[in-house]
Amino acid sequence: MQVFLQTLIGGLSLGAIYALVAMGFSLVYRTMGLVNFAHADVLMIGAYTASTFYMSSRLPFALAMALAIAITALIGLFIERVLRPLENKDFTLMLIGTIGFGMVLQAVAVLIWGATGRAVASPVKAAPLEFLGLRVRTYDLVVLLIAALAVLLLVGFLQRTKMGAAMQAVAMDHEAATAVGIHVGRSNAIAFAVGAGLAALAGGLVGPLLYVNATMGGTIGIKGFAAAMLGGCGNVPGAIAGGFLIGILDSFAAGHFQGYSELVVFLVFTAAIMIRPTGLFGETTVSRA
Amino acid sequence: MFNIPRLRVTALAAGVLAAGLTAACGAPGESEDSGSGGSGPIKIAVVDAQSGQLSSLGKWEHKGAKLAVDEWNAKGGVNGRKIRLDVFDDQGDPTVGTNLARKIDSQGYIAMLGTAESAVTIAMAPSLRQAEIPNIASGQSPGMVALKSPFLFLNGPTSTTYDETLAKYVVDQKKLKKIAMISNNGSYGKGEHDAFLKALGDRGLKPVADEVVTTDQKDFSAQLTKIRQKSPEVIFLGAEEVESGLIVKQARDLGITVPFAGAAPQGTPVYRDTAGVENAEGTIVSSPYLSNEVSEASKKFAAAYKAAYGEDAELHGAKAYDGAQILLTALKNSGVATGGKLADAIRAVRYQGLLGDFAYDETGVGIKATTIGIMKNGTVVEAGT
Repeated sequence: MQVFLQTLIGGLSLGAIYALVAMGFSLVYRTMGLVNFAHADVLMIGAYTASTFYMSSRLPFALAMALAIAITALIGLFIERVLRPLENKDFTLMLIGTIGFGMVLQAVAVLIWGATGRAVASPVKAAPLEFLGLRVRTYDLVVLLIAALAVLLLVGFLQRTKMGAAMQAVAMDHEAATAVGIHVGRSNAIAFAVGAGLAALAGGLVGPLLYVNATMGGTIGIKGFAAAMLGGCGNVPGAIAGGFLIGILDSFAAGHFQGYSELVVFLVFTAAIMIRPTGLFGETTVSRA
Repeated sequence: MFNIPRLRVTALAAGVLAAGLTAACGAPGESEDSGSGGSGPIKIAVVDAQSGQLSSLGKWEHKGAKLAVDEWNAKGGVNGRKIRLDVFDDQGDPTVGTNLARKIDSQGYIAMLGTAESAVTIAMAPSLRQAEIPNIASGQSPGMVALKSPFLFLNGPTSTTYDETLAKYVVDQKKLKKIAMISNNGSYGKGEHDAFLKALGDRGLKPVADEVVTTDQKDFSAQLTKIRQKSPEVIFLGAEEVESGLIVKQARDLGITVPFAGAAPQGTPVYRDTAGVENAEGTIVSSPYLSNEVSEASKKFAAAYKAAYGEDAELHGAKAYDGAQILLTALKNSGVATGGKLADAIRAVRYQGLLGDFAYDETGVGIKATTIGIMKNGTVVEAGT
């Protein structure tokens, strides 16, 4: 029982990270119908910038994170601006474009920060909380809290603001949206910027949990993408559910299947996707390209 | 502000992309011939991860090898010929490694130093054997010895030596009997796992827990909780620097207070920083090169390393330095031979290195001893007996 609960707790904090990554994937996908393959590398840049401000410039962690989010949002805007001429013309090229940007970001990270990577000290010094023989890291609670806040803000933005509503409209039918005077390009740009900001948030938060280096996006990005697919690509609540599912699945598979855990996680994922190709909360409204 | 012509923006992006791509696949690629018998520079390849999670190993190795080559070049090279050391990035990936094996063959490199990753070395070995290019590798997996390639040499001991010494200290000397194991399923972790398990078995012991993780795993709660329930007295760690650090950090958060024990990776600064200095305190390390203070030779090496790179030397740089010295000595002794003759010359070298006295046997292992150190306040000190 203790192992079970401790495993669950272990899965939650990384699950929250995957959920944030999945939300970024989903947001861009629902707005543009595009999978942004540079997403994981934007996360890596976010992790590096946040840790640089936090460790080298000795800024408070929250401020370092805010700066990192702002900087990566700009990168998101830039990527969208470069890809914009292809929007609605050549979808495949746009996809390849995002892959290319991912490679560029990795190369840039190696140029700026070197290839070695760095360990980030935890910003929360408090000892883990202990009850019933279970231990919960205080930093994990911070991660969960921030992730929850980010979800609330994003959902509020999409549903309560004019801009958010416009983005939903573009997602459903970009021609009709253009006809009623919505600037599709701007809407896409905002999706990219917010998506990049989410990636930076995930990256900044995961830094103290893991180790920051130029290829850190790889595993986290793949798990985050799987989470987005599992939840139903393009669906924000689905992305959150998918993130936690993948995190917890990962954690339990590690305990039961040891060295074969990765294989088991993706087999379960494949089976789930075969049974429900649209994911758990999948909708079919978003299918433009 | 968006009045820039679209074409220019796209062209700019293409340029950035192209630059990124060349940076990603660019490697020194002149095809001038300077192999055997020539009078040009002697071409030696360093193959090591220069990017990715294992890149710190690759950087250290390259620095160590380069230091040795620079010393020889400063004294006029070998037989009046300069030595040229080119570095290739294997990204810690065996597939990339096999491609590089063909590349260094076609470009006329006569010997190879590295890699630090046993899996990559094993993948490259058949091609190098066929091309008759001697390779002094830095991994420690017994899997490399099992290949029985006459062209493969190690610049340090194998896991068997590391873990036999470790078991001797932990079990025979410290009388610890409740030992848990956590290791990864990569080439290095597997080798460590098997070697330590065998060392325990030889002493009639069975680990109280034997957990295996993947090389990409980030959360170890399940396995560590199981280990905690068995309340071991020491935990054996068979994983690379970063993953080991993460395991130790999470173990401490889960309330595991007993020391960890492992081989070379557990003595490195990357391990210490990933785990956190206080979490790594008391780690038992089995290593042939505990610190820069062990001998006159190591002090001299450390000073030269510091002068050249502005950072402190450590085990991997020392290993690569020894490996390069052995190779260069063999080249000198054989009058810049290549292929099988060079391999024989390497086997014949008797060299007093930083790690100990090298004398290669037919398996390609030249050194068979390590010492035990304990991590104290972030540095490894020799364990008192």
